[in-house]
Amino acid sequence: MSDLAIVIGTFAISYAVVVGYAGYLHLRRRRAKG
Amino acid sequence: MNRVRILLATAGIAVLTGLWFAFISPVDRLQGEFSRILNLHAPFMWVAFLAFGVTAFASIMWLIRRTLRWDRLAVASVELGVVFTATGLFTGMVWGQAVWGRAWDWADPRMASTAVMFFVYIGYLALRRAIPDPEMRAKRSALLGAIAVIQVPLVYFSVNLFRSLHQTQSIRPDGATMPREMLTALLVNFVAITYLYFALLVGRLHLARLEEASAAETARGPDAVTPPRLSEVKDV
Repeated sequence: MSDLAIVIGTFAISYAVVVGYAGYLHLRRRRAKG
Repeated sequence: MNRVRILLATAGIAVLTGLWFAFISPVDRLQGEFSRILNLHAPFMWVAFLAFGVTAFASIMWLIRRTLRWDRLAVASVELGVVFTATGLFTGMVWGQAVWGRAWDWADPRMASTAVMFFVYIGYLALRRAIPDPEMRAKRSALLGAIAVIQVPLVYFSVNLFRSLHQTQSIRPDGATMPREMLTALLVNFVAITYLYFALLVGRLHLARLEEASAAETARGPDAVTPPRLSEVKDV
């Protein structure tokens, strides 16, 4: 695997974690609204 | 579009701008493409420090004022701090494996102290789940939140105090140890990821208020439910 591919993958996984957290908050917000 | 959505959308634009700068900036001669991880690793860890600092401030304010909003802010910021510390550790491990030949070393003071800080704040979240009484939960977590922040300067200055695989700070009062283009990309990412933290924090606080309102409504529930008429109940 090329160095650049590893770097892009690292950026993608890191932001996926943050987006996943934001998605989790969104689901909780929908549940709280009923 | 509500305030939270506007904040998150603009944070998304800021992050994309940061990514653009991260991938057009020049790379380090020795580390090659892996030096781009600096634009993610350093801002994520900075935001984690900021988040735990905000938690400490909110915890102290709760101990003084005893109002629920400070407790809300403390827990919201810890959650974000844990997410950003986890991603900061992950990016650091990938970078370490690439340039040092090892992803983790417990003998390194920066890595070890960051791991301890991460687990202490996981413990903070576990503590909150273990205490059902809101007043007691707020009190105990405020004490922990105010004390645990001592780790932040320890993690930050661990590279100056002990021998470490990590380099010392790249941005110093007497200037930066990197070319201007790399510094610009790093600063853009610092701003973008800090803005992302504030957008998520506002969203998390909004959620906490909604959940409290929902819980209060559930608590009033039995009065709101109309009991069935005797004729509607079959097995009498």
